[in-house]
Amino acid sequence: MAGIYIHIPFCKQACSYCDFYFITSLEYREQFVTRLLKEIRSYRGSKFTDEPVETIYLGGGTPSVLSADQLHQILEEVRDTFDVRVKEVTMEMNPDNVSAEYLNALLEIGVDRASMGVQSFDPDLLEFMHRAHDRDEALECLRLLSETGFPTYSVDLIYGNPGQSTDCLKQDLDELLAFDPPHVSAYSLTIETDTRLGKQYELGRLDPLPDEKVARHFEMVVDRLAEQGIQQYEVSNYSKPGQQAVHNAGYWSHKPYIGLGPSAHSFWWKKGKDAPVRWYTKQDIKTYLSGDRRQLIEETEQLTRRQLADERIMMGLRTRKGIAVDELSSRYGYDLNQRQQSYLDQKKQEGIVKRLDPIQLTFEGLKIADALILDLVSMQ
Amino acid sequence: MKEIRNFCIIAHIDHGKSTLADRLLERTGSISEREFHDQMLDDMDLEQERGITIKSHAIKMIYERPSGDEVIFNLIDTPGHVDFSYEVSRALKACEGALLVVDAAQGVEAQTISNLYQALEQDLEIIPVLNKIDLPGADVEGVAQQLIDLIGCDFEDILQVSGKTGEGVEHMMEEVVKRVPAPGRDADKPLRALIFDSKFNTYRGSVVYVRVMEGTLEKGQGILFMQTGKKYEADELGYLQMKQVPTESLEAGEVGYVIGGVKSLEDARVGDTITSVDNPAEKPIPGYKEVKPMVFSGLYPTDTDEFDELRTALERLQLNDASLTYQPETSKALGFGFRAGFLGLLHMEIIQERLDREFDIDIITTVPNVEYEVVMKEPGKEREKLVVDNPSEMPEVGLIEEVYEPFIKATILTPAEYIGPIMELCENRRGEFVTQLHMQSNRVEIQYELPLAEVVFDFYDQLKSGSRGFATFDYDFIEYRASDLVRLDILLNEEPVDALSSIVHRDKAYALGRKLCKKLKDLIPQHQFQVPIQAAIGKDVIARETKKALRKDVTAKCYGGDVSRKRKLLEKQKEGKKRMKQVGTVDIPQEAFLAVLSMDDDD
Ligand SMILES: Nc1nc2c(ncn2[C@@H]2O[C@H](COP(=O)(O)OP(=O)(O)OP(=O)(O)O)[C@@H](O)[C@H]2O)c(=O)[nH]1
Ligand code: SF4
Ligand SMILES: [Mg+2]
Repeated sequence: MAGIYIHIPFCKQACSYCDFYFITSLEYREQFVTRLLKEIRSYRGSKFTDEPVETIYLGGGTPSVLSADQLHQILEEVRDTFDVRVKEVTMEMNPDNVSAEYLNALLEIGVDRASMGVQSFDPDLLEFMHRAHDRDEALECLRLLSETGFPTYSVDLIYGNPGQSTDCLKQDLDELLAFDPPHVSAYSLTIETDTRLGKQYELGRLDPLPDEKVARHFEMVVDRLAEQGIQQYEVSNYSKPGQQAVHNAGYWSHKPYIGLGPSAHSFWWKKGKDAPVRWYTKQDIKTYLSGDRRQLIEETEQLTRRQLADERIMMGLRTRKGIAVDELSSRYGYDLNQRQQSYLDQKKQEGIVKRLDPIQLTFEGLKIADALILDLVSMQ
Repeated sequence: MKEIRNFCIIAHIDHGKSTLADRLLERTGSISEREFHDQMLDDMDLEQERGITIKSHAIKMIYERPSGDEVIFNLIDTPGHVDFSYEVSRALKACEGALLVVDAAQGVEAQTISNLYQALEQDLEIIPVLNKIDLPGADVEGVAQQLIDLIGCDFEDILQVSGKTGEGVEHMMEEVVKRVPAPGRDADKPLRALIFDSKFNTYRGSVVYVRVMEGTLEKGQGILFMQTGKKYEADELGYLQMKQVPTESLEAGEVGYVIGGVKSLEDARVGDTITSVDNPAEKPIPGYKEVKPMVFSGLYPTDTDEFDELRTALERLQLNDASLTYQPETSKALGFGFRAGFLGLLHMEIIQERLDREFDIDIITTVPNVEYEVVMKEPGKEREKLVVDNPSEMPEVGLIEEVYEPFIKATILTPAEYIGPIMELCENRRGEFVTQLHMQSNRVEIQYELPLAEVVFDFYDQLKSGSRGFATFDYDFIEYRASDLVRLDILLNEEPVDALSSIVHRDKAYALGRKLCKKLKDLIPQHQFQVPIQAAIGKDVIARETKKALRKDVTAKCYGGDVSRKRKLLEKQKEGKKRMKQVGTVDIPQEAFLAVLSMDDDD
């Protein structure tokens, strides 16, 4: 079972916090699609097509700047090339791109899950984030999603913005919950270097929200969503029962995936067969369009068992499911040592670890998961 | 028999000794053009890279006079930095004359004077040399006058050369022959050869550099080291040319090397006299003042498994650098390591760098300190002096009668306009003014008595920045004096961190304590609990900060494109964490142990 990720690197404008790879020159769209179709085709007959594909994820950038027709060609090419037995086809989209007509067309070509980049309903925050949409469009797109009867969808939200009050967050949550979304991805704002916010931060013009305030926001998000039956199942992901994202969960459990497009990561690991490997392409549209495959690969990593185990712990502890001790040992050859066990015991007593097998964190633990993960993996 | 001249080149740092030596090597044909590179004698990588001389280098050359006669030159190039002034003193004993080189653009500096005095003490013939006369900024007249005032020579006595262009070098070589006295050549007396340097060769043991003062040293001869009483056989003798050139004998007046399978450097100490077993001399040549380490610091392997490697490395370094001392010590914070003694901060830096570079051992060093003498309160008993070279071993304040610290006399040379800031600096460092002397060309010599501890930190940097780089400085140990010193402890989460203790003057303890706590607050990572950071004298907490507990650190996103980056970061953090030291439950990064060093005086 594998997933396919397709990176559509176009955006109308640059959001101030964003460090994904994208360009704002939309005029390359056509060339890009042509190139992408070729890239998909190049997989024909390769070992990567042996594995049935269950999830497709159109991400970016902003896939919704492409026409339904272009997206249709892309999905068709995937279906012709891979053994597609699809369970979930997700597409990221932005509120300013969607209309009832567009959504209906997407449904027709097989997209069955929308991931809507709302981020906030607050006009000031939207401006701070330099989003291309306004408050009305944010509300309108959610209305359209229910109206067109999209089978399922997720809404992105960002909290912990500099200067954002808890009232402001509460307002955002209330407005969102009025639509009773099946799935929410809520992210605390991260100030990345090489973004507009990063630059402002370096220049000392931006005061990030202190971490105790961010923690308060985080608690509020978890509580409010839970009240409406939308449970946290990963640090930043919440859903109603049965509505968890299949594709994303695949990343967390080391399912193989093929990434297509510039800056896309691929991961291939089949038990008893190939050595685990991850590769990713350059963040450069020119190189991508040139079609020179060797030029395009930025890095190929041969992963050791130890590295994989570290990754699995790193990702697993972020999820509600946690990570089973047995899985670590059977799949990764990684056995917890004495130090790790007593560390976990102690953290359980402190109310930071919820269960010892599978190892699961409490919400208190989840908040400081990075420190816990580092502690844990450093002990072996 | 060819005539011999034994001489050295002495000067302030960077005044061009090694470059001048290059010209001599060239002009005497000691080195072919093909082999040549700048500062030829600086053969350690570190010397080449830093462009400074660390060790003295002896070299034999054959000079052909215009008359056609050949004269043997035994030259020793010396280092100019104050930390290595003992290298100069050793070189001087093997010579009859010294070229006192002065940069014509810089003028007489602190080490010019101190090296001159050393040479005069040894009754050496001094040849004053103005170097770098090719520089547009050269002030031949003015600097010559400085030299005249200093030595009491005539203007005509002063040679003018350029080590860069070679101008004046031929003349200088003739002057060496004319002015430097020929050595005594009494080859028939009982042998007395002075060891002025040594190197260690893994296969052959000590390679001892000697100046034969009297008698003859012959290959195969039984030799006696007069101080240690050890006997060996002179397996190989030779001259120190660009390569070692073996010979059958070394006679009075000559300079060369001896190899005798001496496995321990202790047996063949620099300063000792070699005589013959069969026909021993009555008395050894008076040796050198023993060099004593001035600055001490803890050296700990970052990786605690590397303790043995560190020990081996220190042993090896000591073989060629007897001025390095060390003994094992343990720290609660840092584990097993060594307390090492150095001649000064540059020496310390160089040893650290060599450990890293030649032995590939990552070390944590603690803040350097000096050696204290402590008299304990012991009513009724004879008072005993305790020597403390590790702050954490300083006894409780209540038990101490008196603490003594080393004082030095600093001689600072500066253009007159910087007197103000320099005196201010010295006053801030608890200095006591001694004298001030106005010299030629608007220059001033200032003398202060200062606690050595106040000089080992960034005194030199501050001096330089306070004088736009013009002031130079030299110092000599004078004596131990009583001072109101206290031990300042640092506690993290209520636990004292021994490696962070320091000894400071009581008046400065409060300010230092506050700054240290602040700095540590920046350096220590956030923990899952809050960490109080305290500075204390005995039981009195004099400063306090709190590192807040971690409230939220979890990364927001972790999808397909993030895994690799996140794992690499985790791997890096893992490495970083391994390098951190634990005291109690608190992780302390390495930089924290040098926190004091990175603090400015006035913030
Ligand atoms: N212009 C000019 N530069 C010179 C002359 N002699 C030396 N220098 C430069 O001065 C700097 C120091 O020269 P060194 O020969 O290394 O000085 P040193 O006295 O041996 O230095 P230490 O051994 O570290 O005390 C180098 O950059 C040389 O190139 C000269 O006659 N003229
Ligand atoms: S957040 Fe989304 S829409 Fe904004 S720049 Fe990034 S990829 Fe484009
Ligand atoms: Mg030199």
